[in-house]
Amino acid sequence: MVTEDKPQTQFLKYIRTVGMTTMRGRGFYYPVDSAMNNDGRIYTVSRSAEKTTGDTIRVTMLNEEGEYFGIFGSKGNENGQFMWPCGIAVDSNDRVYVTDEYLHQISIFNESGEFLNKWGSRGTEEGLLDAPSGIAHDLYDNVYISDSRNHRIQKFSKDGDFIHSFGSYGCEDGEFNLPWGLFVTNNSEVFVADWGNDRIQRFTSDGKFIAKYGSAETGKSEFTRPAGITVDKNGYMYVADWGNEMVKVLDTNGKCIQTLRGEATHSKWAEDFLKINLEEAQAREKANLEPEIQYFNEDPHEESSHIEKLFWGPVSVLLDSEERLFITETNRHRIQVYERTNW
Amino acid sequence: MPENQIELIAHLMRRAGFGATRNELEKYNTIGYEATVEQVLETSDPKWMSEYLLRRYHPDESSMLIGLSGLQAWLYRMITTDTPLLEKMALFWHGIFATGYPKVVNSKPLSDQIRMFRRYSMGKFNTLLLEMAKDPAMIIWLDNQQNHKDAINENFGRELLELFSMGVGHYSEDDVKECARAFTGWTIGNTEYMEVRSARDSDWPYGRISWHYEFDANDHDDGEKEFLGRKGNFNGEDIIDIICEEEATARFIARHLYHFFVADEPPVPQWPYQPPRDPEAIDQLVKCYFDSNYDMQEMMRFLFNSDFFKSKDCWYEKVKSPAELVTGVMRLTESVDRPEYEYPAKEQRMQFMGQTLMNPPSVEGWDGGTMWIDTGALVERMNFASEELGRLTTPGAEELFKKISSDGSGEILPDKIVDACLEHMGSIFIQDDTRAKLVNYATANGVVRVANNSIDDVGKESVAGVVRLIAATPEFQRA
Repeated sequence: MVTEDKPQTQFLKYIRTVGMTTMRGRGFYYPVDSAMNNDGRIYTVSRSAEKTTGDTIRVTMLNEEGEYFGIFGSKGNENGQFMWPCGIAVDSNDRVYVTDEYLHQISIFNESGEFLNKWGSRGTEEGLLDAPSGIAHDLYDNVYISDSRNHRIQKFSKDGDFIHSFGSYGCEDGEFNLPWGLFVTNNSEVFVADWGNDRIQRFTSDGKFIAKYGSAETGKSEFTRPAGITVDKNGYMYVADWGNEMVKVLDTNGKCIQTLRGEATHSKWAEDFLKINLEEAQAREKANLEPEIQYFNEDPHEESSHIEKLFWGPVSVLLDSEERLFITETNRHRIQVYERTNW
Repeated sequence: MPENQIELIAHLMRRAGFGATRNELEKYNTIGYEATVEQVLETSDPKWMSEYLLRRYHPDESSMLIGLSGLQAWLYRMITTDTPLLEKMALFWHGIFATGYPKVVNSKPLSDQIRMFRRYSMGKFNTLLLEMAKDPAMIIWLDNQQNHKDAINENFGRELLELFSMGVGHYSEDDVKECARAFTGWTIGNTEYMEVRSARDSDWPYGRISWHYEFDANDHDDGEKEFLGRKGNFNGEDIIDIICEEEATARFIARHLYHFFVADEPPVPQWPYQPPRDPEAIDQLVKCYFDSNYDMQEMMRFLFNSDFFKSKDCWYEKVKSPAELVTGVMRLTESVDRPEYEYPAKEQRMQFMGQTLMNPPSVEGWDGGTMWIDTGALVERMNFASEELGRLTTPGAEELFKKISSDGSGEILPDKIVDACLEHMGSIFIQDDTRAKLVNYATANGVVRVANNSIDDVGKESVAGVVRLIAATPEFQRA
């Protein structure tokens, strides 16, 4: 299925930014995914970097208004710790699941961040994992995982009992190349960000291929290394087009109806920082944060590194109960929030 | 079929790259030395592990919050690239236009500077020099943002002449001042904000912001200047054009090329007092510089095809830098094809050997040569190479075992094992007495037997022991 990117609509409009960069505590440090519980509490998992201290890896708990509820997790391989955390999801009982691409396991916490359980180990056999990344639940709290380096999707019970898997390495329909984010609809259809194949694939709950979006059958793909996918109740798809530094909205036919490039403003936490760091705030006030620069090869990654308001590393897309879209950006350490218009 | 030139090609690959595996050398040998040089010089479409893959697994390699973040990315790239000369050129220019983190305090512009070297290092030298003068990291490193029309700062102007092009003794103090005047107004965008952020090491509120070059016409002195005996309303571009026409510049670049690619020279501060090791080679490179209109690719083509480069007199006459050693070892293991959590530790080993890329000891870069070797560094170099190459399960090691066991079955003589290991590690040409000691070691290690075209674990360990020992030889530690 080939998508088109014109004409553009105003399907979504920007409303606010949440979060900011901090190595510890209130803030994010290379956030890679966000999830939300039934009360609107956001859980954002920060992957951090290998060379930093252990407390920079964490899950930050907050809400859309910037109210901060604390953190949990740290670097390590003990219960409740992470090495390469990647995906996060909340089940119907508000239990928080976090994948770890290095430890090849899933850790489970209660809504306050207390460690409950973990499961998973490395391997290629069914039920074993190699770099689990994206994670999502179906209506029955079964867990779907992007078993990235095994190039497949695996389905487990909420307690980690293997149910089935589908996919293998390749670029044909139903095959994957390092799948990342995934989403399960209320009717248990599975949408997968097939990262290395620059496409989204859609499956039945038992892994039967239904459709693909964005793949380059002729010419350039719609997406470059898509990392995240979510779908609203009307079937509109929201794709974190990570390599293009964009978020794209696709209608039910897979036609791209809006491309977002990012419009970040100061979050509450950013305002707090600038209020007490006047020297920096005053210099920032005088700066032109949207300079006109010629970028080599029109590289969007490079453009985003220069212009702060643009998405930089949009990795995860999350819809809340009001169908507002929360876009987590790894390299800007924040979440941009969009809402539906009357379009 | 060209004659067997494997050892000569191995020499080329140690200098134009980071060494080569035996399989690579055999492939190059089928096309011959000159055609291999042409392949090496083709750098227009470099391929490596993939930037996307790196950014996915190591997100700090995207926005670089942590000091020296870009190092990991560079090491991954050096190890997995199919165009190693481009990385060697980047190392070469990084050593001359040495720019460091402590003053820049933003890894992204430093990484951008290395990318700029890749983009321009095989083109015209005047173009590269111009891009270097506009490079944001360089501007901050040498204070050109503080070089104003009504109050010049000579730092960049001085180093442009002394360290980047002509060398001391070829210009006057007045030339330095006039040069600085020509570069007034060459600054970075949002200077005040970026300086405040660097001073505070700030990545708030939303991470680092990349820097960009900006020309401030209001702060540029466009008055008449007298530079190197010429008069005019020179700007920075004019100054660079004049510099590139000077023979001193050609000699300076030629000696740097010889020092980096042919044989170790004394450190740069000694050059005014100590003649080149091979004056005739320098003369030839100077001629090529002017004949080619400062074209670096032509200079490299000339150098690699020259008799002075191919001569055995210069084989192993260079001590590998830590970056070259670590990269070469990891390429031989053939084990790096995707990002791994443990990988940053490899880059730290390079630092333990005495080289932290993007953090040179001074504006003069690294002295190189035997300065790389002291007791601690040598032990670290030997340990690293021995550990990595001595692993039994890397694809590189498996290839070696396959080669040894492919000749049939039975007992493999120690000298055959030594020869196979030397070939495997890049067709290393060693002294007879070193070889004799390796054979003695292999003999003492016990018999290696092949059965059903495979070696058992005891035999593999014996072979790996020889590899570890070769990794400690002077020949392997040199290029």
